[in-house]
Amino acid sequence: MAVCIAVIAKENYPLYIRSVPSQNELKFHYTVHTSLDVVEEKVSAVGKSLADQRELYLGLLYPTEDYKVYGYVTNSKVKFVIVVDSSNTSLRDNEIRSMFRKLHNSFTDVMCNPFYNPGDPILSKAFNGIVSGMMVQTS
Amino acid sequence: MSVPDYMQCAEDHQTVLVVVQPVGIVPEDQFFKIYKRIASVSQVSIRDSQRLLYIRYRHHYLPENNEWGDFQTHRKVVGLVCITTCGAAKDWPQTAERFHGQKEVYSSTLYDSRLLVFGLQGEIAEQQRTDVAFYPSFEECADVERRVEDFVESIFIVLESKRLDRATDKSGDKIQLLCVPFEKKDFVGLDTDSRHYKKRCQGRMRKHVGDLCLQAGMLQDALVHYHMAVELLRAVNDFLWLGAALEGLCSASVIFHYPGGTAGKTAARKPSISQPADASKRHRPGAQEVLIDPGALTANGISADTSTEIGRAKNCLSPEDIIDKYKEAISYYGKYKNAGVIELEACVKAVRVLAIQKRAREASEFLQNAVYINLGQLSEEEKIQRYSILSELYELIGFHRKSAFFKRVAAMQCVAPTIPEPGWRACYKLLLETLPGYSLSLDPKDFSKGSHRGWAAVQMRLLHELVYASRRMGNPGLSVRHLSFLLQTMLDFLSDQEKKEVTQSLENYTSKCPGGMEVITLSDGLKLPPVPFTKLPIVRSVKLLNLPASLRPHKVKCLLEQNVSTASPFIYSPIIMHNRGEERCKKIDFQWVQGDVCEVQLMVYNPMPYELRVENMGLLTSGVEFESLPAALSLPAESGLYPVTLVGVPRTAGNITVNGYHTSVFGVSSDCLLEGLPSVKTSGCLVEVIPSLPRLQLSTSLPRSAHTPQPMSKEQLSSSVSVQLFNGEEQQLTITLENIGSEDIESLELTSKTVNTKDKVFGRFLSWDLEEALRHLPLKPGQTVTLSISIKVKLDFSGQENLLPDLNDDGISVTGLPISSPLRQLLKPRAENKAVSSESGKAEYSHIKTLEAVLNFKYTGGAGKVEGYYRELSLGVHVDVEPSVFFTRVSTLPATSTRQCHLLLDIFNPTEHELTVSAKNSKDLVLHPSECQRLAIQVDKFDFESLPQLYQEPASFSSPKQLEEERQHAQGCQINSKLDICWSIISLQSDYRDCMVA
Repeated sequence: MAVCIAVIAKENYPLYIRSVPSQNELKFHYTVHTSLDVVEEKVSAVGKSLADQRELYLGLLYPTEDYKVYGYVTNSKVKFVIVVDSSNTSLRDNEIRSMFRKLHNSFTDVMCNPFYNPGDPILSKAFNGIVSGMMVQTS
Repeated sequence: MSVPDYMQCAEDHQTVLVVVQPVGIVPEDQFFKIYKRIASVSQVSIRDSQRLLYIRYRHHYLPENNEWGDFQTHRKVVGLVCITTCGAAKDWPQTAERFHGQKEVYSSTLYDSRLLVFGLQGEIAEQQRTDVAFYPSFEECADVERRVEDFVESIFIVLESKRLDRATDKSGDKIQLLCVPFEKKDFVGLDTDSRHYKKRCQGRMRKHVGDLCLQAGMLQDALVHYHMAVELLRAVNDFLWLGAALEGLCSASVIFHYPGGTAGKTAARKPSISQPADASKRHRPGAQEVLIDPGALTANGISADTSTEIGRAKNCLSPEDIIDKYKEAISYYGKYKNAGVIELEACVKAVRVLAIQKRAREASEFLQNAVYINLGQLSEEEKIQRYSILSELYELIGFHRKSAFFKRVAAMQCVAPTIPEPGWRACYKLLLETLPGYSLSLDPKDFSKGSHRGWAAVQMRLLHELVYASRRMGNPGLSVRHLSFLLQTMLDFLSDQEKKEVTQSLENYTSKCPGGMEVITLSDGLKLPPVPFTKLPIVRSVKLLNLPASLRPHKVKCLLEQNVSTASPFIYSPIIMHNRGEERCKKIDFQWVQGDVCEVQLMVYNPMPYELRVENMGLLTSGVEFESLPAALSLPAESGLYPVTLVGVPRTAGNITVNGYHTSVFGVSSDCLLEGLPSVKTSGCLVEVIPSLPRLQLSTSLPRSAHTPQPMSKEQLSSSVSVQLFNGEEQQLTITLENIGSEDIESLELTSKTVNTKDKVFGRFLSWDLEEALRHLPLKPGQTVTLSISIKVKLDFSGQENLLPDLNDDGISVTGLPISSPLRQLLKPRAENKAVSSESGKAEYSHIKTLEAVLNFKYTGGAGKVEGYYRELSLGVHVDVEPSVFFTRVSTLPATSTRQCHLLLDIFNPTEHELTVSAKNSKDLVLHPSECQRLAIQVDKFDFESLPQLYQEPASFSSPKQLEEERQHAQGCQINSKLDICWSIISLQSDYRDCMVA
């Protein structure tokens, strides 16, 4: 489904970024990096009005010619970004939401690991497996 | 119209365009000087009315763009100012001709023009002409601004007349159809009488009048006209012009809402003027009299009463509506391929408005749209301009990452392969500007804190591009700096292959331009701080080493105590603990000596996947003059911790601080300061260097040995000798002392200390006479002095119980009286353990005893002596003592004289040699190995009890045991002197006195 999945720390540096191997990885780095502008903007706009009752799912951040970029921000300001192929029109908003939820759950498990240092790159195999599951299906 | 003006903003709609151009030969700097002065007249308050006229100046304007002037009047060149030089009157006609030629270019739209002539004097200059101003030189032209103001006023008059002319044109049938260049052919043959056509003409004209009103400073009227135009044009589906009308509406509303402007260049607008002007716009009760009733034009019943106050609030768009209308307008423009520039400019204007409203997300949507607007074949330069402006606009709305992205794209465009002359300089400059967007600074200090956190992949790409661009710019120094930075900060993210590539290219560059520690300042003032390679190799700990024991300086005691007492009157104070401060600053409690080689040990490791050659590695110090002796090392691939010792010689005395180290790796020399390396462990870097001291070297006549006396560590001894002696034997040890330092030895002391003494040593073990040696002092450098020391061992071997059964097994019958009185007390321990070893071979060593002693030479001289320091040189003496003669039994027999008696001694020879024993008044007794014989000696009787007290005060001994020992010792001496028993081994030609009886 997804072509690139990234987890970005509160301080906006990547904790985890993985893209389909067939394509230029750097391109996705750029895509995700620039999407942070929109994420920040969205978060700051929402933060003013409803600080506590915030929807974690940010929706479509921006469409590019080839991809659609979706965002999700946890309460601890960790960002998830999923990039999907624009041609994949069958993908619904709900499916994206559920992907984010799955990602969030897995991320929570990573954080629960007492040997994981918050802020370090995520190297968890379990997390990697979840991400692979989301990426492999269509690609 | 193909070239968009990316700098346009909404309020430009109310300006009139004036082109300022040079004619003939005008020096560029002079032209721009004048241009600036002209451009300073950006708004003119019109006499007799409270209106303001805004002027936009251009020194370059495409006539092609001018053709769109009907569509949006602010695109129309209405004024022309030409600047020329004219040296002589005869040139004048030619100059005038040129000016007219220039006017021709914009003739269709021009309202008025002016020519500024510089350098012409004489009668031509004196004639009064309104359209020409003469100035003797570029310096003497004080009234340029005034002339421009007059010029602007004349433009205003034309503008105002046109406005009135168009607005009052009531003949609905004859309204001319305004159109944009690409429409002209579409309307050929169209039915001009149709209602549809008329409406279209009306709508377009309304929009045009709105533009003129806006330019003429009549905002409210403009709004009304625009509104009407929108209605008219919407009805006839004239989308391009509808878009323009909507945009006009937006522009007017923006001008109303944001008098400060949206371009961000507020300085261009004089607030002192714009403020009252703005106020006048809002409250201008009498300003409407020039306006005719717009109702006159409302053929289809649109009634808009612009003269009422109600109209204004209604007509002006709210900030939210402005954006909606912009969106609508842009969507209409989008329908026309030829209106791409208009669409793009509208997007840019809308973004600027949104930036003011702080609605970044919507602005980004406009920008996103702008990205996709196709303007046909763009030249490379235009592409660069477009990407740069996109970057700027993203920056404006706070999307720094997006901004950096486009700036980088622009930079790459500068050097696109299709460009014949790539602009590497421009590319490099643009790339530098992207750095903050990628949260990258070029100061390695920002990266020293912990592990690097950032977008390594994109940052690395950027750094690679910087390296490449700077190389192509022909600045290898810059490439080296960037490449060093890349290697230093991104090391953890580079793959092995990349590491190899980066270092290879770094070596290539440094072969041309070695990297150093200087700050590189770019032409625009940006400073590139030096990049020290603290990770190549990685240093884990820095430890200052003490001097070797023999060279260590010692402070004379009394001086030291004085030092301590002056430091604080208290024995203990907790405050000192707090004042200790940083660990690094702590003074280390040993000293270095001026002129002597000092060492610092670094634990380093190589993180690279291949061998790392570090050259010229040395210490960085401060405080005293220090001569660093650089080392070169080669670290194997991904080595573990590897000790490296850096050496140097302090040349002056004082406190020295080791600040760091310098290295040269891949041709880049770096100074790594410890304060910037929190991961380096150090136990302190401040050490005192004391003035120079002499150095002494010692050599001996005896062979060196590997033995070291137990309580001393090996390094404490400069050397040690060993010798094997029989018990009671004496040997001479000759020590040669040589001054190998550079200072005179002025004093020398010798002390000895016996270590490892479980056994009691009788007599003096080591004895010497220093007087002879001291006579040679002061000892000049290179001179030697010899000293003779006699080693004498007297040990008690009687304690070895295990040897007794051996003796009995030998079947030697020992007969005699039990030990009788005067000697009983003395010999009592011996009665129990008569130790003899008859066995040779493997058991032999078990009863060898070892005696060890340390000879300490204290010497000093030179400046160090004045400071109260001395040095110690220690010589370990190791003696293996073999047993010689045993007395297995002692008994007495009465002699012929009552004053004498026979002392019977059973003597055993445990050695492997033939032994001769002699005593006073007795003949020699020859003992074969492991033989036991009896020796009879006739001795005088003497009173034993009275002796010891004679020369020793009992009070001086603390315990009865000590008293007893002392007495025994004295008694032993007494007996020795009476008996004088000697033994000698003939085969070894050694002849020594026995001392066993103690």
